[in-house]
Amino acid sequence: MIQLIHIAAIIFGAVVCLVGVILGLSAPILGGRVSDNLWAVEPVSYVAAVIIISGLTIITVSYTILGILHRKINPFDSGDELISNWAALTQRYFELFQHDLGRPLRRILGKEREVRSTIDLSNRELYADVLELLDEIEGQAPNFRLMMSNVQVLIQMETPVGDLALEPIEPLEIVRRIVDRYTFAATDGNKEITWWSDPDEFGIVYCDASAIEHIITNVVDNAVRFADKRIEIKLIREGSSFSIKVWDDGYGIPKEYRSHIFDRGWTPELAKREERTTSGLGMFIAKTLSQRYGGDLMVQSSVGNEVGHYTEFTLTLPIKELSG
Amino acid sequence: MYSKTEHILVVDDEWESPIVGAVLRTLEQEGWKTSIIKPEFSTDSGNDFETETLYAIETIHPSGILLDVRLGEYREDQFKGLEILHKIVERYPHIPVLMFTQYTQGPERDTAVRSSLQLESPVDFIDKLASPQEVVLRLRRLIGRPPSHIIMGEKLILDVDSSLVQVKQGDSLDTVNDIQGMKFEILRELASTWYKSPGQLVPFSKLERYSDGEEARASLRVRIREIKISLGNALGVKFGAGDFIINVRDQGYRLVPPKTFENL
Repeated sequence: MIQLIHIAAIIFGAVVCLVGVILGLSAPILGGRVSDNLWAVEPVSYVAAVIIISGLTIITVSYTILGILHRKINPFDSGDELISNWAALTQRYFELFQHDLGRPLRRILGKEREVRSTIDLSNRELYADVLELLDEIEGQAPNFRLMMSNVQVLIQMETPVGDLALEPIEPLEIVRRIVDRYTFAATDGNKEITWWSDPDEFGIVYCDASAIEHIITNVVDNAVRFADKRIEIKLIREGSSFSIKVWDDGYGIPKEYRSHIFDRGWTPELAKREERTTSGLGMFIAKTLSQRYGGDLMVQSSVGNEVGHYTEFTLTLPIKELSG
Repeated sequence: MYSKTEHILVVDDEWESPIVGAVLRTLEQEGWKTSIIKPEFSTDSGNDFETETLYAIETIHPSGILLDVRLGEYREDQFKGLEILHKIVERYPHIPVLMFTQYTQGPERDTAVRSSLQLESPVDFIDKLASPQEVVLRLRRLIGRPPSHIIMGEKLILDVDSSLVQVKQGDSLDTVNDIQGMKFEILRELASTWYKSPGQLVPFSKLERYSDGEEARASLRVRIREIKISLGNALGVKFGAGDFIINVRDQGYRLVPPKTFENL
């Protein structure tokens, strides 16, 4: 309604201005017709000038009043706009430098793979130290990919939430890609990833593929790091929601740590006053993203040196229908 | 070597770099033929890549294309690969294209994916830090059709066309005669899943159709055991419960071919 009044006021102001301009331009002719005396020209010009100024005043006042009203109704809008602009700018810079940021690692990785291809892998003992170095380099690639992705998502998360973009996606394919990424790294560390879906043909849901991929990548990255031998990923569709469970047979998360695991910047080293090995952002981002999409990310764990220790993260999301 | 060779066209201006070299080596180890686009007049222009790529598609009819997003040194070539992708999708909508790029997220990818999805073309994106094995897996799935021969580990070959399991002994191939009929179908199901998606479990529901009798699950268990014994005998090893075909928490079975059969 306010918008309509505003547009009407601007149109009215513009029309008034236009009348003033026309009157001003035709002052020499009109003035002559109104009176034979030349003095009549000038009063018409004055009237035209007054009309133009009135039109401009209407437009200016309309903009000012609308601005005040808008700020009263949406007090945080201008701040949101600033943040959005900042986030868009940061994202642009990040995308601009992303290629260059990855260049050193790409070069090192390329050389590492070249060296690996020339080594006689049947004689692992002879090359034990070299292979350890090569594995370390190869192992840093998924870390770097996840770190870049975390930075990007963090920038997006700073942007005020608008309408969430939902698209038809296949969760099965998302899990498959994540397993592709980690399966070889896991095998090199004598660990195995097994995954399945219940039902077998999971079908399509409406959600954000990048968000799910990001959440599960963070969780699987953790599981591969801490698992003893086995990692299991299970995709379940139940009624109006679906969940992805990531289970590992690692030592488990001590009870006192569990309530902090999703805190921003928290890492186990922080509690032990040791040097941090990760940023502690992955789980925070994963939890925040899952809640943004109307779901949640939960953890269950059992600690111990005996059989039965495990950690299981469960991402649950609603199966949304597209309206219209 | 064992099947109609898949031909992969590689379009990347950094084709001499070690990272692309590693991918090329892995594709060739996979038994695939590779052709690389090297513009004749090296002007580092994206247009040269476009012309030569479209010409190569006409002449070599590739099974799949690995296409870089950034081609050439000029600023306007930053997304030249996406322009080429649009032309490929328009002219050859059935050729699988795997975009090889650092831009795996963001609006560029979304736009490209959306425009390609409209035509239901097999297009996917993978970033340049992905391992060569990951590239191979993604291409296998994009190409879609199963190979005529699946090589499991270093010695076992599943000849899908002839329904035979063969063991490599030196330079010769010995057929494992015990694995036929339903047993072959069970092994084929497990091997096809492993080939496209290692780690994925084949649920009982899929495998039980290759069993008979009232106790389908028990019958399946017996057949799996027989498969393992037959293969073990042919290879001169003994497969334990956690070797080669494993049962996962009463959900189904999974093929885990070892890199080498020597330590079993």
